[in-house]
Amino acid sequence: MMEALSYDFFRNALMAGLLASVICGVIGSLVVVNRIVFLAGGVAHASYGGVGLAFFLGLPVLPVTAGFSTAAALTMAWVTLSARERADTVIGVLWAAGMALGIILLDLTPGYNSDLMSYLFGSILAVPDSDLWLMVWLCAGVLALVALFSRGLLVMSFDVEFARSRGVPVRFLHFLLMGLTALCVVMVIRVVGLILVMALLTIPPFMAERRARSLPGMMLLAGLFSAVFCVAGLYLSFALDLTSGATIIAVACVGFVLSLAVPVRRVPVQGAGEGPV
Amino acid sequence: MNTPAIEISDLWFAYSGARVLDQVNLTLPRGDFLAVLGPNGGGKSTLLKLLLGLEKPGGGSLRVLGLPAGQAGGRMGYLPQFTQVSASFPITVLGAVLLGLVRPGLDWFRGAARRKAEREAAMHALSRVGLSGHAHRRLSDLSGGQKQRAFIARAIVSGPELLLLDEPTASVDGRSRQELMALLAELNRDMTIVMVSHDMSTVDGCVKSIACVNRSLHHHLDSRLTPEIFAEATGADFPGGCPVELLAHGRVPHRVVLDHDSPDCCGGRHAHGPSDPGGGGNGADDRGGRSS
Repeated sequence: MMEALSYDFFRNALMAGLLASVICGVIGSLVVVNRIVFLAGGVAHASYGGVGLAFFLGLPVLPVTAGFSTAAALTMAWVTLSARERADTVIGVLWAAGMALGIILLDLTPGYNSDLMSYLFGSILAVPDSDLWLMVWLCAGVLALVALFSRGLLVMSFDVEFARSRGVPVRFLHFLLMGLTALCVVMVIRVVGLILVMALLTIPPFMAERRARSLPGMMLLAGLFSAVFCVAGLYLSFALDLTSGATIIAVACVGFVLSLAVPVRRVPVQGAGEGPV
Repeated sequence: MNTPAIEISDLWFAYSGARVLDQVNLTLPRGDFLAVLGPNGGGKSTLLKLLLGLEKPGGGSLRVLGLPAGQAGGRMGYLPQFTQVSASFPITVLGAVLLGLVRPGLDWFRGAARRKAEREAAMHALSRVGLSGHAHRRLSDLSGGQKQRAFIARAIVSGPELLLLDEPTASVDGRSRQELMALLAELNRDMTIVMVSHDMSTVDGCVKSIACVNRSLHHHLDSRLTPEIFAEATGADFPGGCPVELLAHGRVPHRVVLDHDSPDCCGGRHAHGPSDPGGGGNGADDRGGRSS
């Protein structure tokens, strides 16, 4: 590990992994408890259109992809609210359309597109300092927004119908959550690639959900799990010369299976009183 | 305080053209305990949504606690249908009850004093529903009946004047159902209750009046189930016939058939005296006979 840490690229990779873990813990938890994993998958894949667009226009990839994904996410949020019963179909279409657009735009871009695979499977070992700083700002922004709207998000996540009856602006919060998911996806694409984003967004929160006693607790725990997977996966990929994104996910999947085997500790029941009668 | 809890006149509501509710009139005095019965798709839930301000009426007027619909939000408690809440959500019982104190809008900042006051209110609500000892357990560790009581605590934590319940007993076992109904009867001393139900066995002593909703609304100022109410509530038409065969499965007929003349017939459950205005009495006997 010490040897690995002496390389700049490895230190950057570690930082990128930890930043992605923080954001995946927070947003992944919201995605899982709101049951919008499919929507998040749609955003992740549609974001490939943003990558293609950035290459086609010769613009920096991360900002363009962030903008494109956010637009895709807000469109999907609008579809889920307005055409509820066919929302899954429409999201499936957007999912595929975004990917196809990305590939076609890359085809139309002159030159050799070596980066194609790196956005599908991640390029954590090639994160430049500038992207790292952008990730720091994205991360801070997303965390600040979640903190600011925490109560509304909690009430909505727990029980939409009740939240609506209490005048909580559920529509706005739904759009906000989808926008935040898009920003999160863009960050994590850097680390593990868009194909594997879903694993990092769902496995740690799923493991945390059964063990946490509150939504912030779930976010914290999911972030910790995610950080462990990233660090361990990076180290293994370095030591064994494997693709880093895939190794991170492999470690996460092993963790997932282990967590199923370890029973959840139940809090002992306090007081035997049952009924009010 | 003398304004009725609910005042509805000539209300109608339509989903994409078809009127789900039409010519609805209802004046519900404060302190009432109304059971809203009716067939599926008859408009029960829509009526509840209108009362909550989640849907806007197509026409007619609707006042809740003396205010136009949608403006009495903080003074109403609401228990949505049980199935809408995820079973594995990481939250304690106390945490869930605290959410009942959320204010309209984004409610972004709560000072230490408000947090403390909210905690006390939540603990008080939990003690009212008999769950004080369970405040710090995970909600998902509670039994079905206990969960339902936790959600009632969430509905009453803000001290509402009107409590709206959507199928409160749909997913709990028989014993929990009786406990829930006893709890609701107790809460009814402080607040008006409107309970949507398709389960006619919930209509027992604590319910004070019944509304049958099937596009239109008939308000019965009495909590006894009559053959006419059966017909309205099940949406079936029985010209001179008997609705009991629909309900003969399980225990339901034993709890609802009016039986004035032979108290032993149904285990003596019915408390109506022989002086009760007759008319339905013999008919009920006939029906009992036919259903068995």
